[in-house]
Amino acid sequence: MQILKNKTNIDFIGKRKPAVFISTLVNLAILVGIATVGFNYGVDFAGGTVVELKFNHSINAADVRERAQKGGLHDVSVQNIGSADENAFLLRMGGVTQLTEENAEKAKKAIEALGPVRNVYADLANGIVNFRSATPMAAETIKKAVEDSGTGVQEVRVLGESQAGAGTDYQVVASGMADKVYSALSAGLEKPDFEQRRVDYVGPQVGKQLRNRGIMALLYSMVAILIYVAFRFDFKFGPGALLAMIHDVIMVAGYYLVSRREFGLTAIAALLTIVGYSVNDTIVIYDRIREDMAKFKGKPLAEVINIAINDTLGRTILTSGTTALSLIGLLIFGVGEIFDFAMAMLVGILVGTYSSVYIASPLTIWLDERAAAKEARHRDQMPKPA
Amino acid sequence: MDRGWWWKFGMIVAVTLGTIWFLIPSYYSLVVMDRDQRNNLALLQERLPKWAPPAKYRLNLGLDLQGGIHMVMRVDTKTALQKRTERRGQQIATYVADKKLGEVTAETDPEKLQLTLKAKDPATMDAIEKDVLSTFGDFKRISRSGDTLVLAPDESQVNRFREEAVDQAMLVIRRRIDKWGVAEVDVRKLGTDSIQISLPGRSNPEQAKELVGTTAQLEFRMVDDTNPQFFAQMLQTNPAPAGSDITLTDEGGFAQLQSPSREALLEYTKGKVPENRQVVTECIANPMKKNECSSYRTYLLDKAVPLTGESLSGADASVNQMNEPEVNISFDPAGAREFEKLTEAGVGRRMAIVLDDNVHTAPNINEKIGGGRARITMGRMGARTRDEWLGEAQTLALVLKAGALPAPVTVGEIRQVGASLGDELIKKGSLSALVGLGLVVLFMALYYRKAGLIADIALLLNGLLILAGLAFFNATLTLPGIAGFVLTLGIAVDANVLINERIREELGHGKSAKAAVDQGYDRAFWTIFDAHVTALIAGFILFFTGTGPVRGFATTLIVGLLASLFTSIVVTRVIMTYFVHGKNAQTVSV
Repeated sequence: MQILKNKTNIDFIGKRKPAVFISTLVNLAILVGIATVGFNYGVDFAGGTVVELKFNHSINAADVRERAQKGGLHDVSVQNIGSADENAFLLRMGGVTQLTEENAEKAKKAIEALGPVRNVYADLANGIVNFRSATPMAAETIKKAVEDSGTGVQEVRVLGESQAGAGTDYQVVASGMADKVYSALSAGLEKPDFEQRRVDYVGPQVGKQLRNRGIMALLYSMVAILIYVAFRFDFKFGPGALLAMIHDVIMVAGYYLVSRREFGLTAIAALLTIVGYSVNDTIVIYDRIREDMAKFKGKPLAEVINIAINDTLGRTILTSGTTALSLIGLLIFGVGEIFDFAMAMLVGILVGTYSSVYIASPLTIWLDERAAAKEARHRDQMPKPA
Repeated sequence: MDRGWWWKFGMIVAVTLGTIWFLIPSYYSLVVMDRDQRNNLALLQERLPKWAPPAKYRLNLGLDLQGGIHMVMRVDTKTALQKRTERRGQQIATYVADKKLGEVTAETDPEKLQLTLKAKDPATMDAIEKDVLSTFGDFKRISRSGDTLVLAPDESQVNRFREEAVDQAMLVIRRRIDKWGVAEVDVRKLGTDSIQISLPGRSNPEQAKELVGTTAQLEFRMVDDTNPQFFAQMLQTNPAPAGSDITLTDEGGFAQLQSPSREALLEYTKGKVPENRQVVTECIANPMKKNECSSYRTYLLDKAVPLTGESLSGADASVNQMNEPEVNISFDPAGAREFEKLTEAGVGRRMAIVLDDNVHTAPNINEKIGGGRARITMGRMGARTRDEWLGEAQTLALVLKAGALPAPVTVGEIRQVGASLGDELIKKGSLSALVGLGLVVLFMALYYRKAGLIADIALLLNGLLILAGLAFFNATLTLPGIAGFVLTLGIAVDANVLINERIREELGHGKSAKAAVDQGYDRAFWTIFDAHVTALIAGFILFFTGTGPVRGFATTLIVGLLASLFTSIVVTRVIMTYFVHGKNAQTVSV
């Protein structure tokens, strides 16, 4: 069996200018989109709480939302996951603790009402209210006061007497969002009619750290791969491979941007895999170009590249095809992030194949032409032998 | 077939058999044993046949696949530092007054962590600055104007303090989780101020949060030594239940009960002690495994808690003139008074230092201790080396500080997956991997016929190698890991496609079957090598910079790429050579 019966002779390189033009346009559009609209950051990066619930009876998302709101959860998004008859939902909330700005104000007032206190300040990120009291207070009293103001309290910490003798320091730790979800939804029920299957809770600082590390990983691997390509091939191949890589990463980022799929750690993993796949594909074609350059000495580089691309076309289609084939299982049975991962990979495979032909090679040709022109100029300026 | 071929063939057979052998513990742990017993290594070891690899080489399932809680606690080093700076400020003020250098007031800026000293008489400031800076070496000058001097803790001191605070928090968290009795728990440092905790099989995040998130509770309590044989008599009148492993030991004339199970000890002694007494256990550290208890011992303590860690103002380990390690502790004024009273009444008795319901040590009180400064000398050296001895002193100091200077911890991240969801994900994950693999295998066989079948054998071996490799490195299989598995198989197929396409091309050029196969492999080699190395680079960087699920993905990718290099270049070639060279074939089925 054979996909391409006869040797093809398609003029890929001839169409490189419109291709590069369109690619640049799409890439710029995606970058502008990321800058203006932004990704749909998941809890991994944005911080927040996600709770996955599975009900033991038929219920729809609107009902779940209504129940949550009745229980006092207002800014909650409810999303059906899996098939409709699974009755599984993702509940998403911005905060990680019950201490919102509004709650913190109320808690502050409640604490101030307890007696002479100083330095009351809320650390919203960690869900903590700090304060110093001139007279010692019972932890229970503080807990009750804050809870009455509407914030669940996990613990009141006595940090001890201040050394200057100006009072005792306390910390009120607000309880988490997940137990609020649980109590809000099971309010009025004898036994909850749902199972809490998953809780993801990421603080905002951790989210920022995770995101920075992910982006750093992406940059590091790009640089490392660039060095490897420049070392194994020729300098003029390096920038092409890098540009193709950036092109592919932007395109896959574009998938996350347009589909509004959640952009989290798995998305970073998908982008990194694409970096590896993209360069893999580019290298296979580069390898052939290098081989053909030796074989067809004297032919212009553009023509050699065209031959190389045509020669490897069968393999390129096959490889993309089989890799895509191996993703089919994930696309059919994958849920949530895994489905997104497979989808992003599919986009990556398609653009990765395209970019090896239309992004990496043209840049190599352009660099080669520029080097040739420079050399020619240099030769012209040389004093002519008398 | 030449000798070289036979060698290679033998190696491949050995690798294949070795791989299958190596997967036996994983097979037992995932298929043969009950789900609840999946993490019970001891039971697994028992069930495994004698000739199987050790139980620890089994494929771990990530928390996302088996259910459990992953959490990251952030140690609030800022609050701790702020308290410390404040305390140092007061020490400086006292020092200045004691030395008759003048009179200063100290004020701490909690945001910038700076200490502002204000002198009553600006003229004394020069002398104060000089003396204070040379005595309090952990502070450096920020600015000075007239009667005010602004100091800040030295950067290296701050870093050391931060590290210490995280170590303290880790110690407390470990102890607490140990008390909870979770098997296979993993507690490790993450970055500079975070602690990562994995609790497989646990399902209540709020409970977990409460367990590890509250401040450590340090207590000083008197040991009831009126009857040193109390526990011996208890065991005589009430024999311990069969199988509870409770034994009697003697520690310097005091009878104690010992058992590997804390629960068994507490259950047995329940209701057998006077109303105002309580049995509290001590953890006997496992010499083989750090931070684990090999067994527990009982103490009979007074129920009353006369003194808590809140009264403690400092603890340090040092070595005295006798070259013995000791721990110096100091109390705040109110604590000092209480401590003096306590030691006066308790001369000759023991005082237990209890952290989170765990007796850490119970030194003897030799005399009444006034002035708020006490010294705990670390007993006889015995069989311990000097370093171990000193290490013990340092741990005790850490314990005391953990209770005294709380660096509060807050929850940075919690991820909890219910067990039923984990099971569902395993099912779906392996199903998708199998479907992907099946489709590719089918396609290759149809498209390349015999060469395709050879590639399929290599592919299957590749899959087994990945699993065995993960088991060998004690890596954890996660959901993204399954995705990495699928992707690696895709790359492995690519290598075989490259080779087969090359062989077809060479055949198209009119080469003989043998020459086409040889050249196909030779020419494709560097392409495959380059392609794999670049993907490996991405994999390694992912591994070293990533955490959690990203890391799981990277591990699978790295192991898979290495396996793919072996199977696509070595394994398929050996088989192909057999069919072409060995059979002296004129054609090749590609």
